[in-house]
Amino acid sequence: MDTLVQYLQYLVNGLTLGAIYALIALGYTMVYGILKFINFAHGDILMIGAYTGLFTYTALLGESTNAAWMLIAFFIAMLVSMAFCALLGMFIERVAYKPLRNANRLAPLLSAIGVSFILSNGAAWLFGAQSRRFPYPFDDTPIMLGGISITPHQILTVVVSVIMMVVLTLFVNRSRMGKAMRATSLDQATSELMGIDVNRIISMTFAIGSALAAVGGILSAFDFRVYASMGTMTGLKAFVAAVIGGIGNIQGAMLGGVILGVLESIGAPLLHIPSALKDTIAFAVLIVILLVKPDGILGKNEREKV
Amino acid sequence: MRKTIAMLLIATTVIFGVFANGSGESAASGDTYVIGFMGPLTGDNANYGIRCNNATQLAVSEINAAGGINGKQLEVIAENTLGTTEGAIAAYEKLVYSDGVCAIVGPVFTGPALAVAQRCYEDGIVMISPSATHKDVTSLGDFVYRTVPSDALQSEVAAHYMYEVLGYRNIACLYAMNDYSQGLALGVQETFTELGGTVSAMETCMVGDKDFRTQLGAIRNSGAEAIYIPNYTVEDALILEQAAQLGMNLPFFSSDGFSDPEIYNLAGDYTDGVMYVGPAQAEASSILADFTAAYSAAYDGDQPDSFATNAYDATYILAEAIGRAGSTDWSAINDQVKATSDFQGANGTINFAANGDMIASQGVYYVEGTTPVYQGSFQIVDDAIVQVD
Repeated sequence: MDTLVQYLQYLVNGLTLGAIYALIALGYTMVYGILKFINFAHGDILMIGAYTGLFTYTALLGESTNAAWMLIAFFIAMLVSMAFCALLGMFIERVAYKPLRNANRLAPLLSAIGVSFILSNGAAWLFGAQSRRFPYPFDDTPIMLGGISITPHQILTVVVSVIMMVVLTLFVNRSRMGKAMRATSLDQATSELMGIDVNRIISMTFAIGSALAAVGGILSAFDFRVYASMGTMTGLKAFVAAVIGGIGNIQGAMLGGVILGVLESIGAPLLHIPSALKDTIAFAVLIVILLVKPDGILGKNEREKV
Repeated sequence: MRKTIAMLLIATTVIFGVFANGSGESAASGDTYVIGFMGPLTGDNANYGIRCNNATQLAVSEINAAGGINGKQLEVIAENTLGTTEGAIAAYEKLVYSDGVCAIVGPVFTGPALAVAQRCYEDGIVMISPSATHKDVTSLGDFVYRTVPSDALQSEVAAHYMYEVLGYRNIACLYAMNDYSQGLALGVQETFTELGGTVSAMETCMVGDKDFRTQLGAIRNSGAEAIYIPNYTVEDALILEQAAQLGMNLPFFSSDGFSDPEIYNLAGDYTDGVMYVGPAQAEASSILADFTAAYSAAYDGDQPDSFATNAYDATYILAEAIGRAGSTDWSAINDQVKATSDFQGANGTINFAANGDMIASQGVYYVEGTTPVYQGSFQIVDDAIVQVD
């Protein structure tokens, strides 16, 4: 097998991984854009999303092995999980962040870390510490293209991610609510004076971010299984992706996710370093990008607000 | 008057104290033999220590019921190591310097065993560990024994089996960066290379990694004929699945981590054809059955684990050695433990290698679908693999 094929294979794997990171990074970046606050519980939302999806899917499927119903049940499970996580995200914001909105900036950050622990330990307690498989809703036999293997679930991951990102972009750029979101992100006080219900916009941001995380959780569960601490590392990497792309910038989060996924997949073999260090590369890149361009690749130089 | 009484009291206390102390020491050479047990009796891993201690106590009471050793009773003093190195050293010092034991069963874990082995070697007293598997435990060469197979044996059997029986000449390893997996992978690499084979890729991952496609891609490009994956089930399950997704059909060879049936829940579709080295199936012996029944009867229906079985054998081996030595002399007991020949225990026939490792067999399994099929037990004799049953 020649090296080109090997690297193309890494690229395919990296793009799939990157699509998932991008979906999750969107949640970090949107919340940051509006509240200037890193929601560290976001990773655990994706874990809850994966569990919700898994339980709904298994319940819907029952004993059925009907191929069409498997696929339909999967998409229903995904919608249920998105809705549940959206509600959960809004609830967490209302209970743990909103009361601290005018407090010291560290306070909501610590509150978020607390929520993260509650979610992951609660899940470990409720569902046990062992990992569970998310069954493929279709035959996952790989498709071979000249030595490069592409599995149906990779295709699903990329297609679903792209659809989500396109819909989100259209929503933010074209809809009235999106416009209100952008306005709130630019200047919260003025938006409020212009008659925008800022609380509602913030709630909605959390809902959208959490719903995307639910999708990310389910898609990543195919590759990585469902377990209580699954959100920690994936969440951290998605956060890195958001920062690489320029936190607060939606296109940046998408770009950052893809870059990180590809780097993780291709970096170690390209530099001939042990594969165990592939995460190290991802974080080393974060440092370099922050040194060269502290605002991230697509980040804007923001004027300091006094 | 009051002073006199006080003096008398003090004098009596001192005299009795000396006498009590004296009788404690003479007990070892007088009418009882005292051995020590050390293991974690409290804490997270207390289950291992408690079962090993139970088995040791059971063996001692059986030996005493059968007349003791040369007419003398055997006594065991159990000390709690807390499962830590510090705890084990404290337990060792109490047993050896204060209680005057003549040999030790334990410690139970690798970390404490490594520390205590050093002390036993320096002081010249025998220890037999029922469960410390790290290959370095017996590296000092004397006074340190174990009734559990060394990890080194497993990787030797794996390398010899792949080279000699399966005929591979070029393999790859994919292992996690922990003591267990790394020890096995490096062991296989060393033995396989010594045999004349090539290990064309040594791919690593971190514990908890979920994506192995980069490593598998490199292995696919390395020309290896088979992949050795000495990991725990979570990693092995994902490796098997992702290899299938990459369209790889290289055979996999794994370690005793694979003997956990959880693997079939996590990757049941991908386990067909995997081979692994695991525990040798002990021949069903009456000693094992009797031990299990006696243990269960003595401890409220609790079942002994394999380490408890090893502790039971270790205690009997010590008792026989003390009997042959005929004294509490540490060096004489060491010579007799070393001279143990075809000891018949609950785990079958036990002999020690020169370094104190148990000469043991390892089982090789072939997974058909989700059912492991026993291929036999194997030993390494004179650098060649030998099937023993």
